[in-house]
Amino acid sequence: MAYSEKLIDHYENPRNIGSLDKGAEDVGTGLVGAPACGDVMKLQIKVGADGLIEDAKFKTFGCGSAIASSSLVTEWVKGKTIDEAETIKNTDIAKHLALPPVKIHCSVLAEDAIKAAIADYRAKASKKDEPQAAE
Amino acid sequence: MDHFARLGLPAALDIEAATLDRTYFAAQRQWHPDRFVGRPPEERAKASTEAAALNDAYRILKNPLSRAVYFAELNGVELPGDGKTIDDPELLMEAMEAREALHETVTPEAVDALAARARQDMEQALAGLGTLFLRSDKAAIRKALLRLRYLDKFDEEARAKRMNLQRVKA
Repeated sequence: MAYSEKLIDHYENPRNIGSLDKGAEDVGTGLVGAPACGDVMKLQIKVGADGLIEDAKFKTFGCGSAIASSSLVTEWVKGKTIDEAETIKNTDIAKHLALPPVKIHCSVLAEDAIKAAIADYRAKASKKDEPQAAE
Repeated sequence: MDHFARLGLPAALDIEAATLDRTYFAAQRQWHPDRFVGRPPEERAKASTEAAALNDAYRILKNPLSRAVYFAELNGVELPGDGKTIDDPELLMEAMEAREALHETVTPEAVDALAARARQDMEQALAGLGTLFLRSDKAAIRKALLRLRYLDKFDEEARAKRMNLQRVKA
């Protein structure tokens, strides 16, 4: 099977591998898995005071397409607002990397990971803004 | 017909390997193509369909994990298929930490130690399934099977890593 140059580049030189402080208030963490293939993906975003994503990191144990998909997403979300980052679709990822049809599910995992990271960040932010409101 | 019935066995989580082998080989003899030489095409087609179905049944029931997943399906517990994701933090954190630990190993002995622990966890989780089925606790069955999937994947990755380490050494 022939993989695209972009996919191979992200696989061989993955961007933004690593971790951010999970406990920090300005960090959102998304942890998702695809049990059918045993992949697990962690994607984290750090949101600045201006509301822009200033850093993103990932750690993925899975196939090359899953690694490339998460690497690409961390690159894409930097400098975006969380609302913008939330609009990233798995189809955009799959198209950019020219994922073969059997690997489309890897881009689904990356979309779900960024959505989960944003949800986690928002949950933290709302707790901080209204400490008593939830009770 | 479900895979258990096809092999003439009651649907159950635990099956003796010897019993499974015996019933499979007996059934396979019955539908062996050699016995249908010179028979009408419909009969030969049926024999080959039956033989293929028997092979599927045997393959799925032989492995304790795929058997448990199949038995769970028969009992109305569906696991996420291809392209479906989960976000159970506890389960995924365990899987992530295990894979990180494996990633950091540098000796075959260290890989073996991690793999041995994972297999022990698998055996324990498989042994615990029976109780969950007795209680018909579908959520717990589902979670246990998902965890088993990740442990199984870990075992596979540990084998691959071990082979790589040995290749480097050689």
